[in-house]
Amino acid sequence: MDSRTNNEDQIETEGMADNKSSRRQFLKKMSIAAAAGSASLVVGGCGGSLKTEEMGLKWEEYFKEHYRLMTQEEKDATVKRLERLAKLERGIDVQMSNQEPHEQVLYGYAFNISRCKGYMDCVEACVKENNLDRRAKTQYVRIFEMDPGKLDPTAGDGQFFHEVPVDNKFYMGVQCFHCENAPCIKACPTKATWREPDGIVVVDYDWCIGCRYCLAACPYWGRRFNWGDPEVPKEEINLNQHYLGNRMRMKGVMEKCTFCVQRTRKGKLPACADACPTGSRVFGNLLDPNSEIRFVLKNKKVFRFKEDLGTEPKFWYFMD
Amino acid sequence: MNKIPYGVGVFFVALAAVVLVDQSAVASGAAGAESVTDRINHATEPYDSMRVSTAYELSVKTVQSKEQYQGGDFKVLARKDQISRFRCSVCHNDKPVLIQNGALFTHGDVKLNHGLGNNQLTCNECHSMGNRDFLVDKEGQKIDFDHSYQLCGKCHFRQKRDWLGGAHGKREAYWAGERVVRNCTSCHNPHSPAFATKMPATYSLPLDE
Repeated sequence: MDSRTNNEDQIETEGMADNKSSRRQFLKKMSIAAAAGSASLVVGGCGGSLKTEEMGLKWEEYFKEHYRLMTQEEKDATVKRLERLAKLERGIDVQMSNQEPHEQVLYGYAFNISRCKGYMDCVEACVKENNLDRRAKTQYVRIFEMDPGKLDPTAGDGQFFHEVPVDNKFYMGVQCFHCENAPCIKACPTKATWREPDGIVVVDYDWCIGCRYCLAACPYWGRRFNWGDPEVPKEEINLNQHYLGNRMRMKGVMEKCTFCVQRTRKGKLPACADACPTGSRVFGNLLDPNSEIRFVLKNKKVFRFKEDLGTEPKFWYFMD
Repeated sequence: MNKIPYGVGVFFVALAAVVLVDQSAVASGAAGAESVTDRINHATEPYDSMRVSTAYELSVKTVQSKEQYQGGDFKVLARKDQISRFRCSVCHNDKPVLIQNGALFTHGDVKLNHGLGNNQLTCNECHSMGNRDFLVDKEGQKIDFDHSYQLCGKCHFRQKRDWLGGAHGKREAYWAGERVVRNCTSCHNPHSPAFATKMPATYSLPLDE
């Protein structure tokens, strides 16, 4: 069942391995030598051993491998470095995971447009869970108030300042739909974004060059760009992080909904589904015939947004 | 002249057939990659989500459901310990009540708004007259407060069917591990079950911003 996708992924990564330039290796070696040299200079200059450590870690981080080409040891090492850097730079004790996907799991999502009442608790929970930029007001999830008969969220209104729900309106949420045939992945020139075997489309923030081709390619407005360094108050930072998920992003990289990879791989619901007070959000394993999401697909009226594009989103809308 | 022996001819035909079949298999494999819906429909093997070892037991109180979910057992959030004045028979017994406590005991805080228009339900449509510690259905069956879905489902049978399957209501915290779902009364106030209007928590920017 999974072999097809795995093979496909394998081919992609193999191609990357072939291209792996010795230049990178060379630069890495050079950098370590340079780091050692400059570190000794710094030590001689101002004696800040913490500063030296931070700089050394940053050198190592800068010349690390693409996440999919890393061995498990390298993945563990980068996560350790990032945890230490978070401590040195921000003074926070992050627990960063690099948990791999579960076998025989393909995540899927369903959204009940006849139950959603526009309370927007999901949006708020997502912002807190995923350490989203408070200054630029980045949101992965958006809710729009819609007139009956319209199914195009561009025609909806997201800035309603009145009590909800309103009679004769319905509410439609949009976010990344984690397409099986995702245009954003094809658009990325550096292969910094890919689909994991459990169906989650992720970004390696350290590999993204910020060209925003993926943002232009996505027909669902699912991707966000960091125009500045994201600002999150120190006491509000979620310390349970994942390398591919809610770890702190930096200026000039793309980010997006990851189905809360740091939660879902631990068996938890995504923050939006957990926060919804109306039960409009159904999440589960598409490969399990006994899951809730499969019940919805089998027994309810479902549709996918812009299905004719052939992007195969794993996000269904349904109604009672 | 140049007669090809029969055996060799058969061999070539067979080889050609093998090559053709092989090519067509490759072609279909490359062109018709399985869509995600096909992949979902072909997945018929149940997934044992207890394998996700980090999905551990919840701290909230639950009870084993008296009904089945897709052929399996599941749990619902307990209700009785959420009712502040349970057990009801502490007051509802044969002993007299002091008149000073009357106001407190009359359930004046309960706003009943259950039913359409003038067809409002009254207390004893759901609460048992004979035994106040239980609910009662129209057939006179006693129903435990923890299993109120059995009573709600008598009228709202479509919602109950969806709730059993997972299209109505919600799971508690985990998609994996033991299935724990919210009771009807965990989300709906049984005396006034429609969700109240309230101000949204935040707002969303337009899609192109």
